Amino acid sequence: MSQQETPTLKLLLIGNSSVGKSSLLLRFTDDTFLPQDEVSATIGVDFKVSMMEVNGQKYKLTIWDTAGQERFRTLTSSYYRGAQGVILVYDVSNRDTFDALQNWYTELKTYSSSQDVVKMIVGNKVDKESSRVVTYKEGAAMAQKLQTLFVECSAKTKVGVQEAFEELVQKIIETPSLWKKQQTPASTIRVSSNGNDDEQEASLCAC
Amino acid sequence: MDEEYDCIVLGTGLTECILSGLLSVEGKKVLHIDRNDYYGAECASLNLEQLWGKFRNGQSPPESIGRNRDYNVDLVPKFMMANGEIIRFLTHTDVTRYLEFKQIAGSYVYASGKIYKVPSTEMEAVTSSLFGLFEKRRAKKFFEFVQNYREEDPATHQGLNLDRDTSATVFSKFGLAPASQEFLGHAMALHLDDDYLNQPARETIEKIRLYASSMARYGLSPYLYPLYGLGEMPQGFARLSAIYGGTYMLDKKVDELVYDAEGKVCGVKSGDEVAKTKLVICDPSYAQDKVRKVGSVVRAICLLNHAIPNTSDADSVQIVIPQGQIGRKHDVYIACVSSAHNVCAKDKWLAIVSTIVESDKPEQELESGLKLLGTVQEMFISVSPLEVPTADGTADQVFVSRSYDATSHFETVCEDVHDLYKRITGQPLVLKQRSTQAQEQADMAA
Repeated sequence: MSQQETPTLKLLLIGNSSVGKSSLLLRFTDDTFLPQDEVSATIGVDFKVSMMEVNGQKYKLTIWDTAGQERFRTLTSSYYRGAQGVILVYDVSNRDTFDALQNWYTELKTYSSSQDVVKMIVGNKVDKESSRVVTYKEGAAMAQKLQTLFVECSAKTKVGVQEAFEELVQKIIETPSLWKKQQTPASTIRVSSNGNDDEQEASLCAC
Repeated sequence: MDEEYDCIVLGTGLTECILSGLLSVEGKKVLHIDRNDYYGAECASLNLEQLWGKFRNGQSPPESIGRNRDYNVDLVPKFMMANGEIIRFLTHTDVTRYLEFKQIAGSYVYASGKIYKVPSTEMEAVTSSLFGLFEKRRAKKFFEFVQNYREEDPATHQGLNLDRDTSATVFSKFGLAPASQEFLGHAMALHLDDDYLNQPARETIEKIRLYASSMARYGLSPYLYPLYGLGEMPQGFARLSAIYGGTYMLDKKVDELVYDAEGKVCGVKSGDEVAKTKLVICDPSYAQDKVRKVGSVVRAICLLNHAIPNTSDADSVQIVIPQGQIGRKHDVYIACVSSAHNVCAKDKWLAIVSTIVESDKPEQELESGLKLLGTVQEMFISVSPLEVPTADGTADQVFVSRSYDATSHFETVCEDVHDLYKRITGQPLVLKQRSTQAQEQADMAA
């Protein structure tokens, strides 16, 4: 199967600091988990690539992390451009992170390229059941209110992580308007570094 | 914020964001602050609410204009030369991975009351009515000279010394008529006034080569433009900085710079917080006591319901109105983009008319440009000072950038970045190719 036939999907993670966005990403793409103190300030992860097969078709997922810019609410609007799926993450053991979802949702609505972008609320850290302060019911109610998908999971124990990404991708595939958007408008240019240093011969007009 | 940083950057304009990105990649701990609640400072792209907030204090945009989110209105009219230094910055840092570009559909020049397309192909050149037949032959000889010129091969110099002979001397050697000189100097070399005629020809020749090689790159015009507006570029470099550990704070007032006993900067104060640092980089608005005004630019941002007349309904154009055509000292520029670039609602165009202020009635100086636009739906006029730093910054370690000038591209912005980098680090800036995604993550993990 040729490379060009693999559709690429852009997914984003948003949500307050320390809810485990990078951990979810690492668990899903590399099946690893780093303790909080080792990942605390997200440095270095631009996006990660993962392949997923749905109904016999392969998809290339590029999953973008916030680069720590959520800390002071300074995510760039360009971060949201062209995304087909967005995961809004909160920590089930931290009420503030749950209350912040409404703000993240508003920012997402403001900047996302398509109205139809698939949204999913993910309650992370269900492994900390003893310190849970946001119930499953509350999470589900919020998801219903904002009309998003909803999953609870734990990046630490793996519970629910794979399922969350699969459900999100499935929903994107079922949303044709996102595919129309995906075709880049005619005559846009991807400026790449490949061959960019070639000396271009100046072909001067002969007027 | 109460921490110590290697470098604090104030203002999220393109110059500052490029430097933040470069310094962060080199491992410097950077804090980047802007007083506005959006990225981009003077080169931001604003949505309707922000635009009305800035120019129409307190009022709301009329509903007929469309949805707030569909708009990304540039404050500064600039395009990217497709073969220019800005492209090297974007590709070497791989900030291009965050951006998508579109060509500007055409470049026009005003002559004797009409606008003419700057030929982009030999065919267009031959059929263009801009010059007479004999003049075309002379211009052809000149272009051959420019194209074949090799520094190391004196035979290609045709007896000219580009560091000594002026542009006027070179033009007269090829017998070029005033109209051709104006075309070459203003529509291709993009000089803003006629001072270049009496200066060594090298700069003009290099600018013409840049224009031609940029034109050759993608075809329609020498310019590229980022989808969603120019504001995407500072944001891209800001993300690069953040990935390498840069901290960003918007909507954060900056009260003062703090100095030590020797007069060197040691911190930045905001409210009752002080962030410590040994080095500050900022735009002129954050260091008004360290800049002087060298002029002003007047700009009119215009919203249109139609393409600019006589441009074949182009989705985007540049129009140069050479100063000699309208009895001025400086050219008037028009830069126009549209919904094709995701900067405004469908069936709308955004044009910025600009020039360097010469009188005490700056608005009237734009008249020749505004006349070419047809009916204007909304217009926002601003006069911005052109400011430059009074010192190189090494004494107090406060490095101030220059205002965004009246040129139609980013070449002078890149020059300023090179200049600032050298003043800050003592080393010339050598752009290194950013590693691939995989390599980058391996390096980070190490």
